[in-house]
Amino acid sequence: MQQGIQTADVNAAPMTRGPSRRIFWTIPLALLGLPFFLNDYTQYVVNLALVYVLVGVGFNIVLGNLGQLAFANAAFYGIGAYATAILMHHYKAPLLLAIGAGSIAGGLAGALVCLPVLRGIRSFYLAIITLAFGELMRWVYVNAESWTLGSMGLHVPRPVLFGWVLATEKQKFYLFIVIVTLLIAATANLLRSRVGRAFMSIRDNEHAAASMGVPTALYMVLAFAWSGFVVGTAGALYAVLVRQVSPEAFNLLELIVHFGIVIVGGLGSIAGSIVGAIALTMAPELLRDLPGYEELLIALMMILVLLFLRGGLVTLLERVTSLFRQIYYRD
Amino acid sequence: MLAQLLVSGVAQGALYALVALAMTVIYRATTVINFGHGDLVMAGAFLVYLLVVLAGAPFLLSASLAVVLLFALGVAVYKGLIRPIMAGPHLALAMMAVAVGYALRGLARLVWGREVLPFPKVLPQGTFMVGPVILAPSDLIVTGAVIATVAILAVVFYATPLGKTAQAVFQSERGAALVGINVSAFQSTMWGIGAAMAALGGILIAPVTLLYPDLAAATLIRAFAAMTLGGFGSFLGAAVGGILLGLSELLVGAYISSKLIDITAYLIIIGVLLIRPSGLFGRQTIVRV
Repeated sequence: MQQGIQTADVNAAPMTRGPSRRIFWTIPLALLGLPFFLNDYTQYVVNLALVYVLVGVGFNIVLGNLGQLAFANAAFYGIGAYATAILMHHYKAPLLLAIGAGSIAGGLAGALVCLPVLRGIRSFYLAIITLAFGELMRWVYVNAESWTLGSMGLHVPRPVLFGWVLATEKQKFYLFIVIVTLLIAATANLLRSRVGRAFMSIRDNEHAAASMGVPTALYMVLAFAWSGFVVGTAGALYAVLVRQVSPEAFNLLELIVHFGIVIVGGLGSIAGSIVGAIALTMAPELLRDLPGYEELLIALMMILVLLFLRGGLVTLLERVTSLFRQIYYRD
Repeated sequence: MLAQLLVSGVAQGALYALVALAMTVIYRATTVINFGHGDLVMAGAFLVYLLVVLAGAPFLLSASLAVVLLFALGVAVYKGLIRPIMAGPHLALAMMAVAVGYALRGLARLVWGREVLPFPKVLPQGTFMVGPVILAPSDLIVTGAVIATVAILAVVFYATPLGKTAQAVFQSERGAALVGINVSAFQSTMWGIGAAMAALGGILIAPVTLLYPDLAAATLIRAFAAMTLGGFGSFLGAAVGGILLGLSELLVGAYISSKLIDITAYLIIIGVLLIRPSGLFGRQTIVRV
């Protein structure tokens, strides 16, 4: 019996380390050629999709892997965007420093939002308190006028990377693809590790995890902080991409889009977040001149996935190829 | 000044109480928090707007029609979308509610576009004085409607067979099913009632404020604050919490800063959940690991 299990493990190891590890650099490398086929507007949409890929990947950690119903994602996104925008607008900070500050601000916000979790607040109660936190942040953006310039919004100066001006969408794309790839690879490694499995043990049964010696409080803080870090980076990239940061960009509707990305793509799957981000960025761009259709389309996708495709669009992809399957990540 | 604030605060709070009560009905019946409830409120108000302004129907007829339609919508949403995934995780249920709300918003915007709509003046205008306090007939009507709703709910839940069913289902769905209660039919009725109450709330709120796209979000969060303050799942708590929220918004606005009115609800949610998560009349909700 013991013997049999060991043989199975030896056989399984190469399968999980083979193709699924290589895609972290083969796919981004292949994408480097993408700008040659795009015009300025389609390139902008692709860049926006990259921003939302990070939003989805970060949100999924808390929602899909840790299994906590937290509604503060739009707040992490906004805090990252504002941190970057404030540093670049008021202090003329260099680009990478400003983006890094956005990431760290997002991570700190994640750790802060985790406080009620440590206090023992879960499920719907956590959802409501984090929702209140998000709306509170929006009030702060409007009222901390000396920093955020209120509801008018903050203009972000033209990004300059080591003396090289990122004037076009194509130039921004190369910066974005590097940052997004690094963060996705880091997140995938984190989730494959002991830490990631601890997240999932908390999701599946918190009491059981604690009784097995998993320091649940520590891992909760870690998951929230890393989620905030990734989403904060997404916010920073959003500020660089759009170059205008205003409170309305981080309201409840933005949060619903974030939820849509994770649910439609696939809970607890990195590949799912990417699929979801692409689906929910591209589709509304096609419908943007028709008010109402965007909401209907996103809502319809969410309803259909929740009813008929638990696991999200990524399960369709997994039927075609095993390349994106993450056997550790899902139940 | 203070008397005036108290009267206006109660009138404002009665509206929050109504929406919070509607959410409590759904929560008690199905243990689902309806995150799309704000959009049901908006849908009720919007239907009346369509019927009164575009179709020229009389107000009372339109209002009744909107309430009936929302009842049907609530039943349909429960049967078609919520019931099939009831066995699933909380997250899926919350997301389904969000998606339904988002779809309603999309439907409204097909007609609405991006405008803020002035709601027709359907309630009597003008004011009169009682001692030092200025009263508006619309405030009295709104508060009266809320009190009547609370009274009807109290009678239904504590003095009718339906109320006994509600208590049984709330204690144990399985147990209730075993003694022959049709749990599914009961729960869909409760979703219908919750949605109809949301429509009523919307019809009463919209003439006071305006019909604007963020109405749904603002209403939802204030209802959450009322429920949290009063204690989740408690009818009395939702009613008292709503009134207290209305009062505190006006008092904070008058005595501290009008900028703080918008965030009173958020601060109440955060404060109550951190300090006393069970609220005033609720049950213990803390998880200890």
